Amino acid sequence: MIAKSLRDYRRSLIGWAIGLSAFMMMYLGVYSSIKQSPDLYGAQAMAKFPGALKDLMGGLQDFTSGAGYLQSVVYQLFVPFLFIACAMLAANRAIAQPEEAGTLELIVTLPIDRKRLVLDRFAALALGLLAVAAVTLLVTWVMAEAVGIGVTFDRILAAHTGVLLLGLFFGTVTLAVGAATGRRALATTVVGGWALLGYVVVTIGKSVEAIAWLKWVSPFHYYAEGQPLYQGLPVGDYLVLAGATAVLALTAVLAFDRRDVGV
Amino acid sequence: MTAVVQAEGLTKYYGKRRGLEDLTLEIQPGEVFGYLGPNGAGKTTTIRLLLDVIRPTRGHVRVLGGGSREAAVRGRIGYLPGELALEGRERARDYLEFLGRVRGGVPRARVDALAERLNADLSVPMRKLSKGNKQKIGLIQAFMHEPELLILDEPTGGLDPLVQQEFLTMVREVRTAGRTVLMSSHVLAEVEHVSDRVGIVREGRLIAVENVAALREKAVRRIELHFDAPVPAEEFAGLPGVRDLRVTGAAVRCTIDGRPDALIKAAARHTVVHLVSAEPDLEEIFLTYYSDEERHDDRQESA
Repeated sequence: MIAKSLRDYRRSLIGWAIGLSAFMMMYLGVYSSIKQSPDLYGAQAMAKFPGALKDLMGGLQDFTSGAGYLQSVVYQLFVPFLFIACAMLAANRAIAQPEEAGTLELIVTLPIDRKRLVLDRFAALALGLLAVAAVTLLVTWVMAEAVGIGVTFDRILAAHTGVLLLGLFFGTVTLAVGAATGRRALATTVVGGWALLGYVVVTIGKSVEAIAWLKWVSPFHYYAEGQPLYQGLPVGDYLVLAGATAVLALTAVLAFDRRDVGV
Repeated sequence: MTAVVQAEGLTKYYGKRRGLEDLTLEIQPGEVFGYLGPNGAGKTTTIRLLLDVIRPTRGHVRVLGGGSREAAVRGRIGYLPGELALEGRERARDYLEFLGRVRGGVPRARVDALAERLNADLSVPMRKLSKGNKQKIGLIQAFMHEPELLILDEPTGGLDPLVQQEFLTMVREVRTAGRTVLMSSHVLAEVEHVSDRVGIVREGRLIAVENVAALREKAVRRIELHFDAPVPAEEFAGLPGVRDLRVTGAAVRCTIDGRPDALIKAAARHTVVHLVSAEPDLEEIFLTYYSDEERHDDRQESA
């Protein structure tokens, strides 16, 4: 069942891996020219950005240093969101999409326990995302070496692990909503809303006291707060993400086991 | 012998909408049971309840002596959904192979033999299959592991007549092997030739379960007799069971209730050159159940 799900994912995941890799090559590729003209992209130039936009981009400090550039263009906004989108689309194919298409009906009448079915699909999702993360990690590292970013592999690995955990978390949210309701649109809305608000809270919201406490329910807080590119693996934060994912996966399993399929 | 399907007070509501109300039914091993009713009567609801796709609001159902919530019990059932969805780039053969593996392995030769009988092309990507060809794939996956119980929801939909005949032959073989079939349809004609019993469901309620042989016995039959010379009408008038008699020259047309014995004996006194006996129209009897029920409903409303 895991193998079958992975086969179903194959095309779209290969597409995402290629897309993300191309994105990184393009952005990291221009780093050498940025490094050579610090006055154009340096702190002073960045100061011209409106404050809120800068906040939204994670501060844009230190754009010309290797770690700062890598953080700003890769790990701050674009790559995590692209990876979340990839995880969400893949996770929707686990339950909600086949249920809406009607193909799930035959699958649940096979001699597989329903709990097992959801677990297998979760495992396939995790393995698929792991594969995409591994490919893009490799591309990031090779590109970082090639343009002289100057960040060691273990830091890149630490940051990339965060991308994987964040994507898997939102993928599992998708899976859980899909398993509980069978509705793809609802799962997509929940994930999109949570991801956007979560991101806003830890960026712009940091300076707004009224909503600052919301960062505790924002997955991005656990993703970015530890600054893995600078500080290395933030074990505690990542364990929170992984733990929340496990709880959601369990919720998905129990919810799907209890309900009517396809009505 | 324990019943293959044992439903007791089985009831399903979708929110406030009634799907099935208080179904009590037993299906015995080796039986072919035709489950009849118009669209939306509750056939698919019943079938989905039997397979644990949906869960009953009230009541119980036991399938093959266990609950179909157990994966092992589902392994002994073959199922064709009423709205079979097959999609994707995957070829039909690969999909069948996957289903076979999940079911603990199905010999490839058996899949090929079924595909040949039904004239199905397994090398086509599933999204390119026509409705009829999808239905064939659905039938193959339901039959291929030789399950003890086959549950087929509208199995003949989209099949051309030749393939329908082959399918009915397959159902008869299953019965000969002592296995059990539950098949639904909205037309009696599709199931009457293979079914031992038919159940009629309407607006969520099982309103009749009939033995097909008994139903046929009661059936109205149209008969046409042609003689070599004109025959006197009075010889045929008033025969037991003969209705709607029309005698025109050398031809006698009528309908028969029950046995045609008296008519045959009356005809035997002349030279019969041609005899036409239309199949008993079970559909008509079938419909009388509905109209009775309707009359019943009307009475209740007017009361």
